[in-house]
Amino acid sequence: MIGRLYLALIFLFVCGPAAMILFDSFNSATSFPSPFEHITLHWYLAILDHDEFLEAMRISAIVAAAAAAIATVLSVPAAYALTRRKLRGGHALATLLVGPLLVPQIVMGLAMLQLLSLAHIELGLGGLIAVHAVYVMPFTVRLALTGLAHFNFALIEAAKSLGAGRLRTVWHVTLPLIRTSVIAGFTFAFILSFVDLPLSLFLTTPRTATLPIQVFAYMESRLDPLVAAVGALVLAAAIGLTLTLERVFRLRIAG
Amino acid sequence: MAILQPSGISSAAPHPRAARATLSRWERVSGRRPLFALPWRAYLPLAPALVFLIVFLLLPLGATVWLSLSPNVLIKFDGPGLANFSYLLGKPYYLDVLWRTLRLAAITTAVALLLGYPAAWFLRDLSARAASTLIIALTFPILAGPLVVVLGWMILLSDGGPLFGPLVRHGLIGPVRLLGTEAAVVVGQVHFTLPFVVLTLFAALKQIPVDALEAARSLGAGRVQVLRHVVWPLSLPGVLSACLIAFSLAASSYVSPHYLGGAATLTLTTLIAQFITATYNSQLASAAAVMLLIVMAVIVFGFTKATARAVRI
Repeated sequence: MIGRLYLALIFLFVCGPAAMILFDSFNSATSFPSPFEHITLHWYLAILDHDEFLEAMRISAIVAAAAAAIATVLSVPAAYALTRRKLRGGHALATLLVGPLLVPQIVMGLAMLQLLSLAHIELGLGGLIAVHAVYVMPFTVRLALTGLAHFNFALIEAAKSLGAGRLRTVWHVTLPLIRTSVIAGFTFAFILSFVDLPLSLFLTTPRTATLPIQVFAYMESRLDPLVAAVGALVLAAAIGLTLTLERVFRLRIAG
Repeated sequence: MAILQPSGISSAAPHPRAARATLSRWERVSGRRPLFALPWRAYLPLAPALVFLIVFLLLPLGATVWLSLSPNVLIKFDGPGLANFSYLLGKPYYLDVLWRTLRLAAITTAVALLLGYPAAWFLRDLSARAASTLIIALTFPILAGPLVVVLGWMILLSDGGPLFGPLVRHGLIGPVRLLGTEAAVVVGQVHFTLPFVVLTLFAALKQIPVDALEAARSLGAGRVQVLRHVVWPLSLPGVLSACLIAFSLAASSYVSPHYLGGAATLTLTTLIAQFITATYNSQLASAAAVMLLIVMAVIVFGFTKATARAVRI
C-alpha cells in the first residue's frame, strides 16, 4: 500500500511537468507562466501563423530523420559483425560504439563547431546531422545488438546453401528477422534527435534553427502559452510514437 | 540506459549457444577455417561505423583539445601550452563554476538515489505488466525532451504556480523565488536523471532471488534486517552504476542549469556556451570543455576504483 502510494508520488514528480505543459497550452492567459484563465485552442492555431516554428519543425524532422537513418545504417552491420562471431577485441569495439554516451552533448556540439571552423566549412545542415547521428548511434547499436542476440545464424548458411547471394540473404532473411529492433532503433533515435537542444546550440544558423532552438529563441523575446502549445505537440508526438512501437511491435522498455 | 528491448520475437529461435554450435559443426564439415582464426573480413561490417565515429567524434574532440592549448585574444602565449587552463583555474570565479558543477552533480546523484531506490524496490512488487507500464511512463519525459521539462518546471516553480501559488495567496508562506536558484537546477537535474536511476536499480533488484529473502526471513530476520543485510549488499553493484550514470548525466546537463538556473548558477556546460555565444572565445570554451571531460573521467574512474572492493562481494 505504502509502495503504491510512493510510486504514485514518483510518477507525479516525473510526469507532472509534462502534464502542466499540456494543461497550460489551453490557457487563454497571454503571459507564461501564469494562472489558468479559461480554456482555448488559440495557441495551437497561433502556431500556424508562426512560419518560423513550422520551418523549425521541418528542419528538425529532416535532421532527425537523416541522423536516425545514418545511425541505423551504420550500426546494423556493426552489430551483426559483433554478434556473428566472437571477434578478438569485440568487447572493446562495442564499448567504442556506445562511447558517445559518455561525452556531454554540449562538448560534442562545440567539438563539431571547432572542427568546422578549423576546416573553414560554413555551418549548414551537414554538421548538424553528423553530430546528431553520432549522438544517437549508441542507442541504435544497443537495439541492433538486442535484436541480434537471439538471431539464428544457421539460417544464413541455409539461405546460402540454397543458392541465395549475399544481398538476397540480407534482404530476404536477415533484415526481416531483425526488423522490429531496427525500426525501434530508428524511431528511438529519431525522437531523441528531434527533441535535443544542446547538440544544436552552436551549429544552427537562423536558417537551420531546429525546433527546440527556435522555441527558446522565441522565449528570449516573448513569453506566452504558445511555447506550451509547441511543447504539448512534441510531447504528444513522442508519446504517440512510443505507444505505437509498444503496441504494434510488442516492445517493452527496460533497463 | 533506457533501451527498448524486443520481447516475444525470440520464441521461435533456438538458444544462441545452440545456434553457434550448429554453425561451428557446419564449418568443420565444410572444411572452413576454425572459429578463432578470423579473417579480417569479419571486421569489415564494423568499418563504416568506426570511421564515422573517428571522423565526426574523435577528430572534432582532437580539434577541441588542440584549440584548448592554443593562444587566444585574451592570453597570448607562444605555441601550445596550458595557459588557458591556468587562466581558468587561477580565477576564483571560474573555480566557483567548477566547484558548483561538481557540487550540483553530487547533490543530484544523492537525491536521485534516495528517491529512486525505494521506487525500484516497490516496482519489484508490482506485476510484470504494471511495472512495465510504469517504466514506460517514467521514460516519457526523456522522450519529450528538454523543452517540455523546462517549460513544465517553469510553470510549477513560478511564484504564482500551482505548487506555491495557493500557499503564497493564503499568506502561509512568503513569496518564493525558486527559479534562478541552485535548488531549481537540482530539481531539474533530479527529474531528468531519476528515470535512468530507477531503471538501473530496478534491473539490479530484480536479480535478487526471492529465495534469498525468504531464507533470511525464515531464519528470523525482520523486515529492516532483510533490507540491510540481504537486499542492500546484493544491490550494491546496481547502486554504484546508478551513481555513475546519475553523476555523468548531471555534470553534463546543460538545459537545467541554463534555463532553470541562469547567470547565478553557471556550471561548466553553461560556461562553455557563454564563452561561445557571448564572447566568442573558442580557446577558453575548448579549455572548459576539456576540463569537464577530464574531471568527469577522473571522477568516474576514481569512483569505480574506490568502490571496486565493495562490488566484489
